Amino acid sequence: MNLDQAFETYVHESRDLLQQMEELLLEFSQGRSDPESVNALFRAAHTIKGSAGLFGLDGIVDFTHGVESVLDLVRDGAVPMTPDLAALLLECRDHMAGLVEAVAAGTELDDEALRTGAELQRQLGTYLGGEASAAQSPTAVVETGGSGVAGDEGYWHISVRFGRDVFRNGMDPLSFMRFLSTVGRIVAVTTLAHEIPAADEMDPESCYLGFEIGLVSAADQSTIEGVFDFVRDDCTLQILPPTSRAADYVALIEALPADEVRVGDLLVRCGAITEAQLEAALRIQGAEAAGIGDAAAQARLIGEILIAQKSVAPPVVEAALDKQKQLRDGKAQESRFIRVDADKLDRLINQIGELVIAGAGINLVAKRRGAADLLEAASVLGTLVEDVRDSALQLRMVPIGATFNRFQRVVHDVARDLNKDIALLINGGDTELDKTMVERIADPLMHLVRNAMDHGIEPTEVRVQNGKPARGTVKLNAYHDSGGIVIEVGDDGGGLKTDRIVAKAVSRGLIPEGAALTQREIHELIFEPGFSTASQINNLSGRGVGMDVVKSSVTDLRGTVEVDSREGEGTTIRIRLPLTLAIIDGFLVGVNDSVFVVPLDMVEECIEFTDAARTEARGREFVNLRGQVLPFIQIRDLFEIGGQPARRENILVVRYAGQRAGLVVDELLGEAQTVIKPLGKLFQKVRGIGGSTILGDGRVALIMDIPGLLRHVHGKATNREGASATALQ
Amino acid sequence: MAKTILVVDDSASLRQVVGIALKGAGYQVVEGCDGKDALTKLDGRSVNLIISDVNMPNMDGISFVKEVKKLPNYRFTPIIMLTTESLEAKMKEAQAAGAKAWVTKPFKPDQMLAAVAKLCLP
Repeated sequence: MNLDQAFETYVHESRDLLQQMEELLLEFSQGRSDPESVNALFRAAHTIKGSAGLFGLDGIVDFTHGVESVLDLVRDGAVPMTPDLAALLLECRDHMAGLVEAVAAGTELDDEALRTGAELQRQLGTYLGGEASAAQSPTAVVETGGSGVAGDEGYWHISVRFGRDVFRNGMDPLSFMRFLSTVGRIVAVTTLAHEIPAADEMDPESCYLGFEIGLVSAADQSTIEGVFDFVRDDCTLQILPPTSRAADYVALIEALPADEVRVGDLLVRCGAITEAQLEAALRIQGAEAAGIGDAAAQARLIGEILIAQKSVAPPVVEAALDKQKQLRDGKAQESRFIRVDADKLDRLINQIGELVIAGAGINLVAKRRGAADLLEAASVLGTLVEDVRDSALQLRMVPIGATFNRFQRVVHDVARDLNKDIALLINGGDTELDKTMVERIADPLMHLVRNAMDHGIEPTEVRVQNGKPARGTVKLNAYHDSGGIVIEVGDDGGGLKTDRIVAKAVSRGLIPEGAALTQREIHELIFEPGFSTASQINNLSGRGVGMDVVKSSVTDLRGTVEVDSREGEGTTIRIRLPLTLAIIDGFLVGVNDSVFVVPLDMVEECIEFTDAARTEARGREFVNLRGQVLPFIQIRDLFEIGGQPARRENILVVRYAGQRAGLVVDELLGEAQTVIKPLGKLFQKVRGIGGSTILGDGRVALIMDIPGLLRHVHGKATNREGASATALQ
Repeated sequence: MAKTILVVDDSASLRQVVGIALKGAGYQVVEGCDGKDALTKLDGRSVNLIISDVNMPNMDGISFVKEVKKLPNYRFTPIIMLTTESLEAKMKEAQAAGAKAWVTKPFKPDQMLAAVAKLCLP
């Protein structure tokens, strides 16, 4: 179905309705009148107008609006349906018919018809008391969602408490949040759930939630308010625009629910200061206040520091402090932060690593003895150790936001040096990862950001020429993905130019001339040592020592780098890192007498390598997994273990970065916590092994390097394809 | 799975145009030509949103909303009423019946999509 057909339907429908109007009006002109007929008449005019609006037929909408308004008055009894009025309406109907036929034929009305129309409208106007007389189009007062003056992006604070009845009214608070994210970027959400009553008093059909939302948006206030139009009656909504004065925040703080909140948090929640500013203040406080004062003194200190830093205006802090005092009545609050030497944490984590190994030992003994009570005790101990391990690792986790925020200044300065207009967008700043990792990833990130600005984003003239916004964007993004963390550095620049990369790689002797490479392989070339396509060398990047250094630093962290680039649209460099360097959940598999560890978060499933599958796969290195091709590796062959394969082999399906492969092993030994020990220098070049660990019984098990194995498998597959393609030619 | 929207209006051309716009935006569309007909479409299928005219023969929009609110499977379904500026009283009545969202006639397809997106993005 298309719009032309719909338009045809409209013309037919309008003719029918006009016919109906004519019959009804003729009855009226003979003096007969009943309420249902008036209703039907009104409905006909209403429908013609409503549908005309959809097709943008403003002439029909304007004219019919007058008719509809008069009929509305008649329906309400404000104007009697006299034969005179019926006659006038009949003339109006004829004019409407003329309008409809004109649009159906695709012609314009002639001057005389236009004059008639104007005259009829004037006459209708006399019934309306002149209010809607002239050809005033009733401009539709409808939510347009995206309208409004687009200005610069600003930080809006939205405070919304949903009413009890929103669910019953068919409204889902989340759908408004989702829609809000189409208006701008939601940078912070605090859910206020303190109004939820105890379980037995809670009504699951009522909504008890409130949200404090930080929104970065270029939209105007009415657009943002418009998002909540449909729940306006059902919620308390406060919107603080970026330009809000201190007093506005004070008012908001007073309106905040009285739960346990610290002054800093209060201010952060209100968006008066940012988390980073609060942290800076806390640091200063830690340095100044050597002695531990009471909580009130401390809180005041934060306020003072913030004022001294001019982060917040005095009234804001005072209001927050008052609020805090009320909350605290009788309840002293301890200081919440302790500064700890990082070495102490490292030692703790090492010790927990030993504890994990010892625990596994006990478990093993219990199993061997078959002592049920000992087994049970050991499993309780195991769970506890696991919790302790997680908490200990958590201690080392820091949000990456602080590192990301440092780039604001860098981007600002570099953009000026390059004479480009570039904005930095940061997402996922609250994603946490190991502190060591944050420190070691900062330099590679710096290089990637500079690269994106220098090589990625085109000069302003070029961008405008290509129909892109003059202002380029560099994006930093971090998020969790299958047990690891992904950091993305993206730009909306020109993308990688594959032909130039290939030419350069050939001239540098990195690849032979005429090599058949996939898009992905070409992109990978930029990580080769000594590769640079910049035509000019400058002080920012382009000395050809960049991308390979980035790659090796990431590899050192057991991570991987990939490039995603579209010519003309931009480039995204994606860094995948493991969450931590110290302890992982592992899955143990056995081949002959050797035990290997596979990181559990990369294990997708275990399947039996049946005789049927083995027969089917004979000579080839893939099996059919529910209709999909699954390449597999014989671990026995790969590591040259020898011995006879077990009678029943198993396939462990692993996945990393969107790629899958099967590992053929003898035995599945189950899950175990694994403390990662580095490999000696001698073994560092061994492919497929990423580290070692000590099992409960004191044996050494090797940890498989799944990303490496997957590269190996898929590399082989690509080569095979390439080879067969060549053979075909 | 695509979200399903029930469009209730006595004008076939309006249903068609709204249907085209909604399908283009990635929704599935079910049509009803008046309140009574629309109720038969609420037969257990999943409906994520209802768009209904107020003024219709057989069963008008407000009675329709009241009926929907009685159906256990559909009483939480968001409803957008198509209202006219000259029908403010009707609009109040519809809101009291539980249809809190509205789009004012005459509207352009884009305006309809913006209102729909607030309640359920495709």
